Amino acid sequence: MDRWPDNRAWFLLLPALCLLALVGGLPLLAVVNYGLHDIFTLDQVHWVGLQWFEDILHSDRFWASLGRSLLFAALALGIQVPLGILVAKLLLSLGRRAVWGLVLCALPLVVPWNMIPMLWLGMIDTQTGLLGPGLAAVGFDYKFNPVHTWVLILLVDTWHWLGLVAILAYAGLASVPPAYRQAAAIDGASGWAVFRHIELPRITGALAIVLLLRCVDSLMIYTEAFTINAGGPGDATRFLTLELGEEIKGFSYGQAAARASLYFLIVLSIVWAFVIATRRDEASP
Amino acid sequence: MRRRLALIALTAFILLPLTQAVILSFTVTLPTDGRDLGSFGLMNYAYVLTTPELQSAILNSLAYVTLNVGLCLACGLPAAYALARFRFVGDRHFLLLILVFRVTPPVVLSLPIFIIFARLGLVNSPVGIALVHALFNLPVAIWILESFIRAVPRELDETAFLDGHSGTGFFFRHLIPAIAPGIGVAAFFCFVFSWIEVVFARILTVTAGKPITVAISAMFGFQTDIGAVMAMTCLSFLPALVLIVLMRNHLAKGYVLRA
Repeated sequence: MDRWPDNRAWFLLLPALCLLALVGGLPLLAVVNYGLHDIFTLDQVHWVGLQWFEDILHSDRFWASLGRSLLFAALALGIQVPLGILVAKLLLSLGRRAVWGLVLCALPLVVPWNMIPMLWLGMIDTQTGLLGPGLAAVGFDYKFNPVHTWVLILLVDTWHWLGLVAILAYAGLASVPPAYRQAAAIDGASGWAVFRHIELPRITGALAIVLLLRCVDSLMIYTEAFTINAGGPGDATRFLTLELGEEIKGFSYGQAAARASLYFLIVLSIVWAFVIATRRDEASP
Repeated sequence: MRRRLALIALTAFILLPLTQAVILSFTVTLPTDGRDLGSFGLMNYAYVLTTPELQSAILNSLAYVTLNVGLCLACGLPAAYALARFRFVGDRHFLLLILVFRVTPPVVLSLPIFIIFARLGLVNSPVGIALVHALFNLPVAIWILESFIRAVPRELDETAFLDGHSGTGFFFRHLIPAIAPGIGVAAFFCFVFSWIEVVFARILTVTAGKPITVAISAMFGFQTDIGAVMAMTCLSFLPALVLIVLMRNHLAKGYVLRA
């Protein structure tokens, strides 16, 4: 269905644009501007140009954190996407009761973010937790063992976001007409062949959204990682955002702003890659 | 059989941390007034609901979430209508802009937003948080409403204008009733996303106006009453729980992105 060509439609966008300019545009300009200054107090501000950016890009800590964040994002996506699709297929086999499975999957998505690590820490508390005594008996120690910290953060993140992958993959799978699957069954197609050639093409749109959301969110994970071990043990879970949080809390506003601008550029390039990839999909269906 | 096992494993994985919270919320975890450690009862809830700071935290949360939902719908409806019905210079760029704002992590913008809002006098007030949450909620509202408006045939607009309705008359008397379910879905997701957001809500409430999520964090101290913390968590979880059960057929819509 074609839309009417009319540039006056911009007037309808005005309220939304004003709001976004105030809470998005203005802060973005401000953050880049602060990033070029040394801010001692809000009255004592000195121009430093690109110095903070150079400092950050030349510091080993930044690259180490970037590496950790990239590894975390890769692991999170590698676990959550296939698992989410499996859950969606499982729910699909439930027929009409699947909707209650979706409600179950959506539960973690509506828990306040700062309470998610608290729920898990409560569960593995060595004294009062449901799983704590058992885990302590097998030597699980998330405070001092870096591998265990990583496992815990990945588990918590998977608990939080698995439902999102499952819900969107389910929406895509449910849109496959039953006739397609019946035809494939008559032809004797294997389960994998049905998935690869009939179901996967249907859910690529939904999966692209999941990949974008999960990619950005897991690269920029903050609340869970900070609450669970504040970047420790040592620096084992110092992700990108934890460094930013430290600088803000330490009142190094100039450096923090420069860092925030860099992170925004990272997010922007991920979105850009996503847009290019989805457009190519549309062009060659 | 394998399917049943998988379902049980999934249910256990999702429900176990929540079960833990519910159990703790009914347990005495800090011995007071002669109550024994580990005994069960409703005293954590009674404590939470009678503490003035926590009462006001619930009201603060409700205040800015409601404001935010109203704001997102008021600004989102005209924008969604424009995107659904008209082709204009820069429409794709606008979609790209809201996509970028939707996925930008709050921690990146928290510093300038705090400084700007401090100058505008919007710190410690629900208005400030309601405005900031529009950053990620307005795009969600626009995408959802746009998909619902697109599903309404254009003949509705054309006949209304032929009948002599003005733009606003058409909006309120014809369009809004036609997409009422869409407005409900958009309001639901704005409500939930605003209700569970923490980073902005924390940075914009320094001395007063703390919402539930921040009040819970503030309950941690030298002697933390984890039972009361969990009672508060369970309470904060209730409205969203009711809403997802009501909205169970539309759960996928809140996470759709458009570019």
